[in-house]
Amino acid sequence: MIPARINAAAVAAAFLFLAGAGRAADPNLCAACHGEGGNSANPAVPSIAQQPAQFISTSLFMFREGNRKDPQMSPMAANLANADMNELAKFFAEQKAAPPKHKSSAESVEAGPGLAKKFNCSQCHGAKLLGQQHIPRLAGQQLEYLKVQLRAFKAGTRADIDGNMTSAAQALTDKDIEVLTDYLAGLSPQ
Amino acid sequence: MKSPISFAVAAAFSISALAQDKPAAAPPPSWQQGKPAALAESTLHPFAPHLTGRPAKELPLDKLKVPAGFKVEVWADGIPEARSLALGDKGTVFVSNRNAKNVYAVIDKDGKREVKTILKDQDSPNGIVFNKGTLYVAERGRITRYDGIENQLDKPAEGKVIVDNLDPSRQAGHFWKYLAMGPDGKLYFNIGAPGNIVLPNYMQASVMRVDPAKGVLETVALGVRNSVGMDFHPKTKELWFTNHARDWLGDDSPNDTLHRVARPMPHFGYPFCHQGDTLDPEYGKNRSCAEFAKPAQKLGTHIAPLGMKFYTGKMFPAEYQNNIFIAMHGSWNRTTKQGYNVMRVKLDEKGNASKPEPFLTGFLTDEKADPPMWGRPVDLLVMRDGALLVSDDYNGILYRISRAK
Repeated sequence: MIPARINAAAVAAAFLFLAGAGRAADPNLCAACHGEGGNSANPAVPSIAQQPAQFISTSLFMFREGNRKDPQMSPMAANLANADMNELAKFFAEQKAAPPKHKSSAESVEAGPGLAKKFNCSQCHGAKLLGQQHIPRLAGQQLEYLKVQLRAFKAGTRADIDGNMTSAAQALTDKDIEVLTDYLAGLSPQ
Repeated sequence: MKSPISFAVAAAFSISALAQDKPAAAPPPSWQQGKPAALAESTLHPFAPHLTGRPAKELPLDKLKVPAGFKVEVWADGIPEARSLALGDKGTVFVSNRNAKNVYAVIDKDGKREVKTILKDQDSPNGIVFNKGTLYVAERGRITRYDGIENQLDKPAEGKVIVDNLDPSRQAGHFWKYLAMGPDGKLYFNIGAPGNIVLPNYMQASVMRVDPAKGVLETVALGVRNSVGMDFHPKTKELWFTNHARDWLGDDSPNDTLHRVARPMPHFGYPFCHQGDTLDPEYGKNRSCAEFAKPAQKLGTHIAPLGMKFYTGKMFPAEYQNNIFIAMHGSWNRTTKQGYNVMRVKLDEKGNASKPEPFLTGFLTDEKADPPMWGRPVDLLVMRDGALLVSDDYNGILYRISRAK
């Protein structure tokens, strides 16, 4: 099972805030789950600090439009205008990503770079897997989040912008996903 | 197989169940197919639009260039991922999406443009065309008609499906459609190849047509990797279309192409022969390009020709009449980038097409940078006054090119 340790109180507070006179594009609302400055402390919630701005705005857009669905994110994105999304994207892209808490196993550190090349990760996500443009940073990302995304891409249930990730994930075995994500979650985000 | 039991189970289910025991046999991702070992380390990657759009005032519009005597301006912004264009009888400009899920209507009111989202939750609704009061929308798997749409932009009635099952396998690559209305009253559209270089199934890599009243498919052309732009010659009524050639054969091969359908059901070569004269290193073995129809013109390698329109307006000088404008979305699979412009192709009396020459340029700012451009032309529309509209999906903007006064 995937730990769903979303801070219910924080979400509730965020909704109350939204219902009031607060600005929809307040980064503090995001920080309730994604952590201070977008550095998540929850393995199931992605860090959004220092992610490429276009990746953040694209993700918010896809949650609002229904390409991606998530019990927490869909309602959060529902009230955001495109300009709000661009503003939030710019804010979190400018935050510094903290070093990961996750420690990769020695086996994953050895096998990871080969797998990242073999499965075409580094071709788009970059040599250091820091992401670019619409392509997210994987280095130092939360472990459970990475696993859930890759499994969903493989199952064809996770929308991606152009079909490339669904396509790329088809060749991954469960074991590949375990090793790759263990490797990625421990990489430096800088 | 580990045991007779596991064999029996696998055999009882399907070949895909068998394939799970051999993950090494999984095909490469669709955009990576046909990549040679020598390019294994390549960092070339497809680009994606800013789905939330970018305000025109934040963009370097002063870099845009048109020939002397013309001017280019922003006509509307705030249209996320503006793709194909269609013009309503009452002047509504319809705009589609490819990755996003909407169809928009842009209304010109007292010199200001209002953008309405008229259709939501569409499945890659890239193809749109307007004819006699009806908007037709091609999603990845079906074509739907919306009658009397301009009278109900705020709350369109449910559409009627003309044909579906156009993408039964949920193919990985080139699943979006372009849609055009033929002079015969039939809808013309592409079914792309399901990857970079693969053997298409019984209806892929083709241009098809369908009579809206009957819903029965007819094949128009075969061997077409992916066409995302088509139009009919104003005089001869022949279909012309643009086509994207395969990737990973290097920076300078093969060319994307312009095609003319001068006889019934031509085969233009894919996946065996590219640009009419270049055999595919894999599928072209023991074949000859002589068996396939030739393109009308080579347009440039990886230049990505999308929308094309014959110019039929009255605003541009007479020499532009019946010329073809082509929107070049621009290359990703090329170390030195090209395209990201609108080109002009002239036809002589016999219908021979000239080499393309630039008409709207300036989106490409650094051919070696990643990304190399700040905007990407997608489709074109000749307006009633003769001006040319150009959509840009990267920013969600429509530009208008007109004669400078």
